[in-house]
Amino acid sequence: MNTRLLMVLHVNVAAPQNIGAAPHGTRRTAPIMGGDFDGSRLRGTVLPGGSADWLLLRADGVLEMDLRVTLRTQDGAIISMKSFGLRHGPPDVIAAIGRGEIVDPGKYYFRTTPRFTTGHPAYTFLNRLVTVATGDRRPEGPTYTIHEVL
Amino acid sequence: MNSRSLMLLRLETAATEEIGALTVFPISGGSFEGERLRGKVLAGGGDWVTEKPDGTFELDLRATLETDDGTLIHLTFTGVRDDENHYFRTLPRFETAAPQYAFLNRLLAVGIGEIRAEGPVHVIEEIL
Repeated sequence: MNTRLLMVLHVNVAAPQNIGAAPHGTRRTAPIMGGDFDGSRLRGTVLPGGSADWLLLRADGVLEMDLRVTLRTQDGAIISMKSFGLRHGPPDVIAAIGRGEIVDPGKYYFRTTPRFTTGHPAYTFLNRLVTVATGDRRPEGPTYTIHEVL
Repeated sequence: MNSRSLMLLRLETAATEEIGALTVFPISGGSFEGERLRGKVLAGGGDWVTEKPDGTFELDLRATLETDDGTLIHLTFTGVRDDENHYFRTLPRFETAAPQYAFLNRLLAVGIGEIRAEGPVHVIEEIL
């Protein structure tokens, strides 16, 4: 599969809202307070408010992630990003992440599939893209290296 | 990005139903073939395809796969078809209850689509 780097996105997460054992699994919401993104074709900041990662821990131990963030480029375009993802790994590695430790991202699976929507003419190419990302969960929030699927 | 071949999926579609900007492509059958799984596509699924004002299409597919050892696998994908730029890419997801295919529940994948005379073909790769 051919891909091209689109951007690196970093988000800052606030304390999670633990919803608990819901019908589909254990639900937790991680509000996003801000962040930034940088790539050769776009760069800017993550807007707080309406940006969060809706998390569902499934019975098989896989964490489903439903990240929704609003991005603002340095030239003022507003871009909505929605990204479904999966995270799982050996129990000791996942426990270390839970304790806020820095873990080698090669030791667990953390992949997402961002899609973008914007009305800004300079960035409409994003509306037509399928992208994939590798995640790195750090104590202050995750970093996503997002690649365009060519 | 590192990826690994998962399957080649061939879909057979029946007469479409057009409902405004939405076109439904019913799935009448098909097949899939990969190193780790192979079998047929059961009739009864469909692809709900919405044309957007920019001329691209948003895909929303539901289908059931039956492996050659009799396991049913739930397949969904969303995706983009942009004929102007010859871009047809999907994000397949799988669900199954069979332990030998449980790896499918834990992976994300990308499909490279192509419209052939006999119907759509998707080369699906697991994201490693």
